[in-house]
Amino acid sequence: MSKIEAQHVDFHYGSFHALKDINMSIKEHEVVAFIGPSGCGKSTFLRLFNRMNDLIPDTRLDGQITIDGQNIYDRSVNVDELRKNVGMVFQRPNPFPKSIYENVAYGLRVNGIKDEAFIAEMVEESLRGAALWDEVKDKLKKSAYALSGGQQQRLCIARAMAVSPSVLLMDEPASALDPISTAKVEELIHEIKKDYTIIIVTHNMQQATRVSDKTAFFYLGQLIEYDNTNKIFTNPSKEETQNYITGRFG
Amino acid sequence: MVKFVDEELVKIRKEILDMWTLVYDQMRNVCEAIPTSEKEKAWDVLIREKRVNASELKLDCDVEDFLVLYNPVAIDLRFALAMLKINTDLERIGDFAENIARFIIKQDGKHIDPELLKRIRLQEMVDGVLDMLVTSRLALEKEDISMANSLFEKDNLLDEINAAATDVLAEYAKEHPDKVAFCIDFKGVFLRLERTGDHITNLAEEIVFYIDAEVLKHSSDKTKMQMAIASRMKEGQN
Amino acid sequence: MDNKNISVNNHARKMLAQNVAFTTFRILSGVIVTILFIILAFIIIKGASVLNWDFITTPPTDGMKGGGIWPAIVGTFYLMVGSALFAFPLGIMSGIYMNEYASHGKIVKFIRMMTNNLAGIPSIVFGLFGMSLFVNFFGFGDSILAGSLTLGLLALPLVIRTTEEALKAIPNSFREGSLALGATKLQTIWHVILPMGMPNIITGLILALGRVSGETAPILFTCAAYFLPQLPESVFDQCMALPYHLYVLATSGTDMDKQIPIAYGTALVLVIIILFVNLLANALRNYFQNKLKTN
Repeated sequence: MSKIEAQHVDFHYGSFHALKDINMSIKEHEVVAFIGPSGCGKSTFLRLFNRMNDLIPDTRLDGQITIDGQNIYDRSVNVDELRKNVGMVFQRPNPFPKSIYENVAYGLRVNGIKDEAFIAEMVEESLRGAALWDEVKDKLKKSAYALSGGQQQRLCIARAMAVSPSVLLMDEPASALDPISTAKVEELIHEIKKDYTIIIVTHNMQQATRVSDKTAFFYLGQLIEYDNTNKIFTNPSKEETQNYITGRFG
Repeated sequence: MVKFVDEELVKIRKEILDMWTLVYDQMRNVCEAIPTSEKEKAWDVLIREKRVNASELKLDCDVEDFLVLYNPVAIDLRFALAMLKINTDLERIGDFAENIARFIIKQDGKHIDPELLKRIRLQEMVDGVLDMLVTSRLALEKEDISMANSLFEKDNLLDEINAAATDVLAEYAKEHPDKVAFCIDFKGVFLRLERTGDHITNLAEEIVFYIDAEVLKHSSDKTKMQMAIASRMKEGQN
Repeated sequence: MDNKNISVNNHARKMLAQNVAFTTFRILSGVIVTILFIILAFIIIKGASVLNWDFITTPPTDGMKGGGIWPAIVGTFYLMVGSALFAFPLGIMSGIYMNEYASHGKIVKFIRMMTNNLAGIPSIVFGLFGMSLFVNFFGFGDSILAGSLTLGLLALPLVIRTTEEALKAIPNSFREGSLALGATKLQTIWHVILPMGMPNIITGLILALGRVSGETAPILFTCAAYFLPQLPESVFDQCMALPYHLYVLATSGTDMDKQIPIAYGTALVLVIIILFVNLLANALRNYFQNKLKTN
């Protein structure tokens, strides 16, 4: 059974029809890359999975999105609980103005966990999981802003991992990073994919090929093609996909 | 990005088509020289083989550059990969031409018995090979899949002639015991021509892969047969 | 060749225009700074002669012809604290509400327009309003309470405005980052947004305090005592205040020769207090910003 299932998803910003009848099914522990030109709706679609678009006024969603069989837009769903299960990493590293330790502990604290020993354990585990522990273990009390951009981004990944989500959404996680930090983030994605279902939005085609199992190409709010990544990048079935990935666009 | 990638692709395509012509000329010249053992023509082929090798190296470099600099995907990637392999196949065909040229030189001007040539269907074999070379080149030039597919069937003829050639030569050797060594060498020529046919079918596979992304390699004979039948039916319709 | 000449000429003209513009800006800013210094120097020269420890720590005597201004300093302090207690929580909460909870609705647009208008109302109108509402209607009488509330009303738009601006300056990605971890909106505001906005909010608050401490008109009818040598004992007492004291000395004195120097001394103390408040604002802002960076 698929982990995430989107059925006939339509999304409007005011009168703008941002997503048009999108159907997609994502298996557990799969890494799916969303590609497409700016404004094609890929980020909008990504942000539906943790209901981040709820924050934007005057939007409308039709269709259904289920995670583990549960319709996440159902009235009975607690959005905060959903977001605990569906973590998110943003385009620019956005650590809080707190210490490295407190950044990772934040998600646990706001979810009402008071047991300091448990928090400390989870912080270490998450930082290890994000391959950051060795770099920061001696300066956990230092400000997160003392870290480099790449480290900050991995801190944000650790922060998301600390609340034990099963899905990780990544919105161009490496677009603000240098190549080496990018490589580390990609390596990290490779390592953690056994524990998470990961959806990653990227403008970097090579990144999509390197990290993802499946690739979805969006164009003008439509899901043009969704297939295995190697299929998309060697032999896409749609002309638009081929034009986009070979750079012969528009 | 679009324009200069396309320029690069056009350049590589032109190089490979030029090499194709070069190899075709080699093969034609050497085959024309077989019956009368024209040594001079054979020497020409040997000398020009160096050009084939140089072309192969140049193409290798250019495709490698293209892969590194443009990170092609999809059809561009398939094109580059196909060109790499086509390049290798063409070079091998060039080598066969060289081998045949060496056979001719070894004959030292002695004409081959016309009666034997007729029985062994040399001309038919040579025409088949040259025709396949032309067709395959055209298939790439016109990106015509059915043209590429027709090559598999044509290759069957070469296999058949080659297989028959063994018996013919064995008989001929019995009749002319002094020419056993010649027969063995001559069999080598047929072997090379038959191998050339195989390499041309490889070319066809690469062309199909490039255009259609369909991997024909090592697919069962059944599919090839079906394709052959399909193409024959098409010919029948035409 | 011609083309090149044209571009050279053009370049020279552009440089000239730039130099003229920059020189003008420089002179104008110089003039403004000079004027400020002249005012300061004027007040210091005129007021320094009476300024000493006794002047600050003793009440006025001889019908304000002698003595110090201690009750006015204390009164001003009380009024600042009183108005802060009223305006800060209310203003900050409104600012948070407007920026975090309802930043798109029509109602908020209306509220925002009204706060902007409120900020533009002359302070004497606040004074009149405060008198009719707090002094008479609520029956607080002329008192520190009524004065503080009136001054608080005056500071309110400023506080709302600065809070809103401070929060607006925080990139949305921090809100999303927190919400994405399953934090509620309130947790996000409390743990992430407010600490980040604090430096700017505090600066705004302190600047509002400075503004309040210098106002005369709002306390004219609500609180200020013409002459009250003893210190106030409860919030329902009247009190003296520096700006009003200054006003009284300068306009209705009985012995100008003695009172004018006292007025200048008062002005100097007021200016020093406001200057100090502004410096404090800067220091606190820096402190909080460093705290954010290094904590």
